[in-house]
Amino acid sequence: MEAALVLDGVTKRYGAFTAVDDLSFEARPGRILGFLGPNGAGKTTTLRMALGLVAPTAGRIAVMGAPDAAAVRARIGFMPEERGLYRRMTPVGVIAFLAGLKGVSGGEARRRARALLEAQGLGEVMHRQIRSLSKGMAQKVQLLSALAHEPDLVILDEPFAGLDPVNQQSLEVLLRSIAARGAAVIFSTHVMQHAERLCDQVVLLALGRKVFDGTVEEARAAAPRALILEGAFEASVMADLPGVTGFAAEPLEGGGARVTASLSPGAPAQKTLMAAFAKEVEISRFELREPHLHDAFIVLTGEGKAP
Amino acid sequence: MSRLLKIAGREYLAYVRTPGFWLSILLLPVGLSVLALAPVLMARSTPLPALAVVDLSGRVLTPAVARAMRSGGPDGRPIARIVAPPGAPFASADDATARLKPYLGGRRALPGGGRLSAVAILRPAGDTVAIDFWSRNVADGAMERAVGGAVTRALRRGALARAGLDPAALASLDALQAGVTDFSPKAAAGKVALGDRLPGVVGVAMGFLLWMVVLTGAGMLLGSIIEEKSSRILEILLSSASVPEIMGGKILGVAGVTGTVLAFWLTIAAVVVGIRLPDVAADLAAILLAKGLWAYLALYFIGGYLMFATLYVTIGAFCESPREAQTLMGPMTILMSVPLMFMSQALARPDAPLLTVLSFIPPFTPFMMAARAATDPPAWQIAATLALIAGVTALELWVAIPAFKSGALRSGRFELRTFLASLARRGRD
Repeated sequence: MEAALVLDGVTKRYGAFTAVDDLSFEARPGRILGFLGPNGAGKTTTLRMALGLVAPTAGRIAVMGAPDAAAVRARIGFMPEERGLYRRMTPVGVIAFLAGLKGVSGGEARRRARALLEAQGLGEVMHRQIRSLSKGMAQKVQLLSALAHEPDLVILDEPFAGLDPVNQQSLEVLLRSIAARGAAVIFSTHVMQHAERLCDQVVLLALGRKVFDGTVEEARAAAPRALILEGAFEASVMADLPGVTGFAAEPLEGGGARVTASLSPGAPAQKTLMAAFAKEVEISRFELREPHLHDAFIVLTGEGKAP
Repeated sequence: MSRLLKIAGREYLAYVRTPGFWLSILLLPVGLSVLALAPVLMARSTPLPALAVVDLSGRVLTPAVARAMRSGGPDGRPIARIVAPPGAPFASADDATARLKPYLGGRRALPGGGRLSAVAILRPAGDTVAIDFWSRNVADGAMERAVGGAVTRALRRGALARAGLDPAALASLDALQAGVTDFSPKAAAGKVALGDRLPGVVGVAMGFLLWMVVLTGAGMLLGSIIEEKSSRILEILLSSASVPEIMGGKILGVAGVTGTVLAFWLTIAAVVVGIRLPDVAADLAAILLAKGLWAYLALYFIGGYLMFATLYVTIGAFCESPREAQTLMGPMTILMSVPLMFMSQALARPDAPLLTVLSFIPPFTPFMMAARAATDPPAWQIAATLALIAGVTALELWVAIPAFKSGALRSGRFELRTFLASLARRGRD
């Protein structure tokens, strides 16, 4: 199946500043792609290039086979990071208007707008002015306005920002349903949990360069597993245990210490534990923690902290 | 095209649905009606002022003053009613002043009721007569002028009669008036009629109308673009439509709004003129249709609007807040006031070379050429100025279309240097 979006060696420079450097990745229909990276990594610039709003300095972009997104703009749904709508329009009006710009006829656009609003629990406010809606409601309306024309490629810049947990949950459901009907979904986010739960593919960006492109599992594999041991023992004993590549200790309130040891890739945690017991290390509690996307993000972006 | 119309339609409805639109559409006709009716209403609701004439001049001048008060107002309307001065006769002007002051001050009422509004004390002053005019309302000089005029005319008549002039000859002298007929080689029949003056008036009126439309439209366009930019709707629009469609939609939508207002006003004006001044209405229709004046004015009107609207839409894309836009509007308004000063001169001094020069300065061209309609500018000037407007608008679009996108996606406050640099690079980063 043809990729919905292809970026091949794309670079964007603003004078001497390189915002995006030699970036390549593909987004496929029916899959959700998480576009991750710290602030200033070049995510928004990349999405704008994909939308044809900004021209790349070098490289090739193909959107559903077309070299220019403008040629297929009716098949793209987009929601920018900073959000706003026509405050005096109604949800039905604004969704129908934006769907109309994407080629949906007036009557059909209004029918779809009503159906979407009903489905998202906004039926009661569909004829109220946007300015009277809560922030969460308005944000939902904006998202629906990017989806009413049933696009084949959905690009959402930080869609979870500003949503409460309940609305975040319903957005996750909505994104899954969009992918399930065959559309390619690309969204940028700072919240790793969403990407971890939702994404079939993640692309990590740091300082304009791609540092990872693959599945969530593959990303996780890039980060070490951690063996956590608690008890009354000297942390230095960890250095001699098999599979341990490094460790950090912190004192516990009731005495003793908690040591978090990083395990080398593929190293069996059982062997490390058995070696600890063999050395008669007084362990009161142990835990093997699989890496999260958050850990992978820190490792892959080389950052000391998550965004 | 369909997207352009959809954007225009949304823009149009967004304004038409606001109370401000209906206020602006109704304000001018209501205001003009009030302005026209106010004097009549005031005259009807205000009692005729009472004037007492104390004639100490030794001549009989009161009848002349009374005649002037009865029918000396506009359209022969009365100015005041003459009342007998209470407490007459008076020994002197000072005596009259002292005794009538309480009536003027409102402390005492006239014997028949009512208040005394003014007192004219006519007293001898050498060979002539001096008038001490006392009034409760010092701001209204109409009565004072009418009394002065009536007394002056009576004195002159008296002097001429004493010099032996026959009263009949005096009456015929008064009736003498030179009849002036205007002729002009530009008038259709040689003799200048109202119809010959109307093109000039219509041209200047259209110039002023265009000026108003440009200024009002500029505010709307800037406001609309800034709202969409600050709320990032512009970014969504850019992903849904091309820049020409967005710019065109905005310009067309606002043109629709101002066009609706103008159409409403012009319809009311046409109905009123048609009913009250049918001859003028017929002349106007004939003039607009006969020499293609409507097409001439329409071309400059549309061209001028497009030229300015393109500029304002582009500026709006670079502004983050209405305050920034207002700062920019200041110099633009000053620039726009130049044609305002010169347009009316097109009626009084149609051949002034400066008017021709101003017609070739693009920001002034549409206004000046509309105002010069009556002077029948040479065909080459019409062709050249229309080409100039088209060229400037095309140049604006060539520069503005790519720059608009760049400005719309840019964040941060407006900087003239950045704006000009972006225009120069045509939006290329």
